[in-house]
Amino acid sequence: MKSATFDYIKPNNLRDAMALLSKHGDEARLIAGGQTLLATLNLRLSEPSLLIDITNISELKGIELKEKAIRIGSLVTHTEIEDSDLIAHHVPLLKEAAPHIAHRAIRNLGTWGGSIAYGDPAAEWPACALALDATMIIQGPSGERKVPVKDFFQDLYTTILEPEDVLVATEIPITAPNQVYSFIELARRHGDYAVAGLAAVAQKQSGGLHACRLAFFSVASTPIMATTTQDFLEGKKLNQETISEAVKLARQEIETLADITNSAEMKTHLLGVLLERTLLKMSA
Amino acid sequence: MELIGEQLIAAPIQQVWLGLNDVAILHAAIPGCEEIERVSEEEVRAKVMFKIGPVRARFAGKLMLADVMPEQSCSMAFEGSGGAAGFAKGKAKVELFVVEGGTLIRYSTEAAIGGKLGQIGGRLINASAKKIADEFFMAFAKELGGELILLDDQKE
Repeated sequence: MKSATFDYIKPNNLRDAMALLSKHGDEARLIAGGQTLLATLNLRLSEPSLLIDITNISELKGIELKEKAIRIGSLVTHTEIEDSDLIAHHVPLLKEAAPHIAHRAIRNLGTWGGSIAYGDPAAEWPACALALDATMIIQGPSGERKVPVKDFFQDLYTTILEPEDVLVATEIPITAPNQVYSFIELARRHGDYAVAGLAAVAQKQSGGLHACRLAFFSVASTPIMATTTQDFLEGKKLNQETISEAVKLARQEIETLADITNSAEMKTHLLGVLLERTLLKMSA
Repeated sequence: MELIGEQLIAAPIQQVWLGLNDVAILHAAIPGCEEIERVSEEEVRAKVMFKIGPVRARFAGKLMLADVMPEQSCSMAFEGSGGAAGFAKGKAKVELFVVEGGTLIRYSTEAAIGGKLGQIGGRLINASAKKIADEFFMAFAKELGGELILLDDQKE
């Protein structure tokens, strides 16, 4: 199938893009890598009258090291993250997660900001952003604002972004030297949407895990933190008993949601499996 | 797809029943509802713009009511078409109960989704349906001037 007809404008700066968004409102959609949007248009699941191509806007580009954070522009592709030395050194969780996103051809075009703004509960980047306690930098009609990731993902495909907002970049605190991390997902084939996944980071001190952040994805309507389990794990030495108790707690606290092929019970089971593997890996 | 749920609304059962039968209140409460009309005692027609994730599709559909027991329960059959995007049809049963603090609405729905929507919307169709139902009850409770009371399993 082919998409319905639409107009196409490619502004050169953020100000012009914002003006177009405010003029055309709901009839306009931003396009960057187009790896989700174009498929949707071609299937005629949505028929916007205008696409605003933001790929010329320099404010949205690049990976930069700031004082205590890495800034990832919204237009940075999955491949750029996968291949970046800055990312490998300062936020290695992202490098580990990148190969799980679809396939290389899609990663060459799809963008960090596109994935975050779309907020698919099965996607890798929203879960990583949550595990890494990222800050979203948003440009709206009344100026720039910063939103902590815990307030960003609100519901299924729903973020705090308003129709006239543009996600400019994300700031991620750089990794402490004693940080341990893990990214695993279970999918039916490589490149498929995850049936369940877990992005995790923690500080390792004298054999115990501290400030553990466990962000599960593809189990609920948004990526979700296992806060009770995190509190339980604080400072604990990991042995079989602690791990079993953590798995039990996580299965209790996370209310899973079925998808078309996997029941909620299946997801509850799998999140425990993921947590056990993650804790074994992080304590090794 | 099946969707089963319960909502507690802080309003008396008579008012909840009238609300569920009042097209003006339904118009305000159904997410994306553009038109709604009661054609006869049993039939309601509506146009709804669904916006969820990648999908923005306008559905035109009708709802046939059956087994109506005022202030207790009713069944309904519905079908809707969203043009190229796909179609949905199914049936639902709604029951009302007087409980402490207001009225408990219990609903169960079975629906089949077809066309493109069924193919790519399928992965998250349950989560999407639940989101729409949650938004509906939130707005519905507000229209009735009561509030939505979270049941134990809905509390964070």
